[in-house]
Amino acid sequence: MSSVTPIAPTPVAPAVPRTAGQSRRLGSVGWNLLGVLVFVVMIFPVYWMVSTAFKTGQDIFSYTPKWFPLHATLANFGDAIHRQYFWQNVRNSLVVVGVVVTLSLTLAFLAALALAKFRFYGRKAFIVLIIAVQMVPLNALIIPLYIALSRAHEVNKLSGVIITYMTFVLPFTVWTLRGFILGVPRELEEAAMVDGTTRFGAFVRILLPLIGPGLVATSIFAFIQAWNEYIIAYVLLSSPEKQTLTVWLASFTTNRGTSWGPLMAGATLTALPVVVFFLLVQRRIAFGLTAGAVRG
Amino acid sequence: MADIQFVHIGKVYDGDVTAVRDLNLDVAEGEFMVLVGPSGCGKTTALRMIAGLEEISSGEIHIGGKVVNDLAPRDRDIAMVFQNYALYPHKSVYENLAFGLRMRKVPKAEQKRRVEEIARILGLGEMLQRRPAQLSGGQRQRVAMGRAIVREPKAFLMDEPLSNLDAKLRVQMRAEIARIQQALKVTTVYVTHDQVEAMTMGHRVAVMRDGELQQVDTPQRLYDAPANLFVASFVGSPPMNLFEAAVERDNGRLVCRIGQTELELPADLAAERPSLPNYAGRRVAVGIRPEDVREASGWDGVRLRGQILLVESLGSEQLVHIEIAAAPLERSDLIDTAAQPPGPSLGVEDHERAVTLLGRFDRHLLLAPGEAVEVAIDPRLLHFFDLETGVAIPLVELPVAAEVAR
Repeated sequence: MSSVTPIAPTPVAPAVPRTAGQSRRLGSVGWNLLGVLVFVVMIFPVYWMVSTAFKTGQDIFSYTPKWFPLHATLANFGDAIHRQYFWQNVRNSLVVVGVVVTLSLTLAFLAALALAKFRFYGRKAFIVLIIAVQMVPLNALIIPLYIALSRAHEVNKLSGVIITYMTFVLPFTVWTLRGFILGVPRELEEAAMVDGTTRFGAFVRILLPLIGPGLVATSIFAFIQAWNEYIIAYVLLSSPEKQTLTVWLASFTTNRGTSWGPLMAGATLTALPVVVFFLLVQRRIAFGLTAGAVRG
Repeated sequence: MADIQFVHIGKVYDGDVTAVRDLNLDVAEGEFMVLVGPSGCGKTTALRMIAGLEEISSGEIHIGGKVVNDLAPRDRDIAMVFQNYALYPHKSVYENLAFGLRMRKVPKAEQKRRVEEIARILGLGEMLQRRPAQLSGGQRQRVAMGRAIVREPKAFLMDEPLSNLDAKLRVQMRAEIARIQQALKVTTVYVTHDQVEAMTMGHRVAVMRDGELQQVDTPQRLYDAPANLFVASFVGSPPMNLFEAAVERDNGRLVCRIGQTELELPADLAAERPSLPNYAGRRVAVGIRPEDVREASGWDGVRLRGQILLVESLGSEQLVHIEIAAAPLERSDLIDTAAQPPGPSLGVEDHERAVTLLGRFDRHLLLAPGEAVEVAIDPRLLHFFDLETGVAIPLVELPVAAEVAR
């Protein structure tokens, strides 16, 4: 009997988990590769825009694609910045975006608060309407919109563009903010009121800090929407000194062709504020801040 | 500290849903009052009305002799512990505990002293700088308790504060809350749906159902003398066995007929319940606690024959399901249906006349499912209820000790 014991099949046993582990590792490598692939596909146009902005005219039009701007130049940026109406249009874009973001966030916050906290007649219908209105393709409305705005003498004015932007930014912001407000348990405000605050005090001290991240996320969305919008601005704003940056970009394409270098430099400059704005506020988007308030 | 009074309190939602109906209840100063009942019975609504989080539709609530109907929550000087704790997630434990003091403009140094003392008592001293998300369920529960205690309010209101804890922690915190309440002697109204919590924690327990108060009494009195079928079926775990029986007069003796078995009701029992003889010739609801159902060996009284359906061993004792011949209660609307044991065994044809009797038996008895068994029923341990109204056939007031001969 004792001679049998040493021949226990010990080496066989670990072999099974190892293969299972290996295949799992292989699987995770595969998923990671797929992730990298998706990332490359998504980032490449952005990379191409930025790199083209730094290339010389020869490199841009070379038949063999130049992957890196080896003879990097800032000339394209100079051309873009010194192009007519650039600074004027930057100002226009900032005005439009600034007003749209502030106004829509203020209005949407109050509307969302009412939808989330109070029960009133027509509340359900209103919520349905908010979703339904977002399903209407905006481009189909451009001509009726134009006619309506022109009757109100709001064509070729920034205020007309702002009003139009509000029509599609507001429903979305109301909807998202309502979700954020609903995410804060009612008991938190009640606890504050029992603890000695007024209803308004509970709102300011408890609710507002907790939906801060929601406000930030929503403002990013409103900012991007308004900053990147092209069609409406293009249709409504005819005189070059009234246009926004996206319309200004289109002016690089003329009957005589497109000046790609300055266009890409202009596009890079136009994209910059969105990126900067996002980097500034992304720290504040600490989702899951409400975790731990109530049972996890 | 203050007493709390409900005077003809009613609550109606949206014009037609009645949550609380004509509630009259006095909570004495320093008393631990438990409101208990199945979900939807109006207990939480009643609590929220004390806190001022729910408007009062009719009647008055007094705290410390003052009508508080129109006072804002912050002016009522009460503290509340919520079921989900409702800790402020963006504030540290210290800030959570100090929030109420800060809102009441207590000086900074005093705030610090009181928060640190409470934290020490509750074992939260190491965690003052943490956020609620970084705490375990039990610790969050302590912070919620601490936030109420630190304010030194007139009354504590607790809305199922233990229902989110696991079973072991719940038993531990149950004792801890009771201990804290005893030490501070603050008037406490505690809402729960768990009748074990109600029995173990409350000085007095108020049983509610469908917005109506059923009975208010000490846990023991509630257990020994339930006022109606609902309280009888709700209080106690496992619940009281309930079935129908006939009261008959036979040669001047009062007899209770369960199935085909006749139990003689001794004269002293009839004397305890003066109205019982009036039920002669009528059917009544009869109840018996599982621990009063006994195996019949050595019993020289009348025995009930039955068959064992199931034996559940609890270690210290065994819970035996016995099928006996008796009529089940027709009026399920009068009892707490959630607490009723399952019906008769499968394949019983005349199921109208079979009832499952739950017995708590000594663990040393060897019993197996399928066996025939005889149980002894002492008529003095029976509870009698009117079949129409569900109201207990009243006992004359007797000292508790003399009521049940054990």
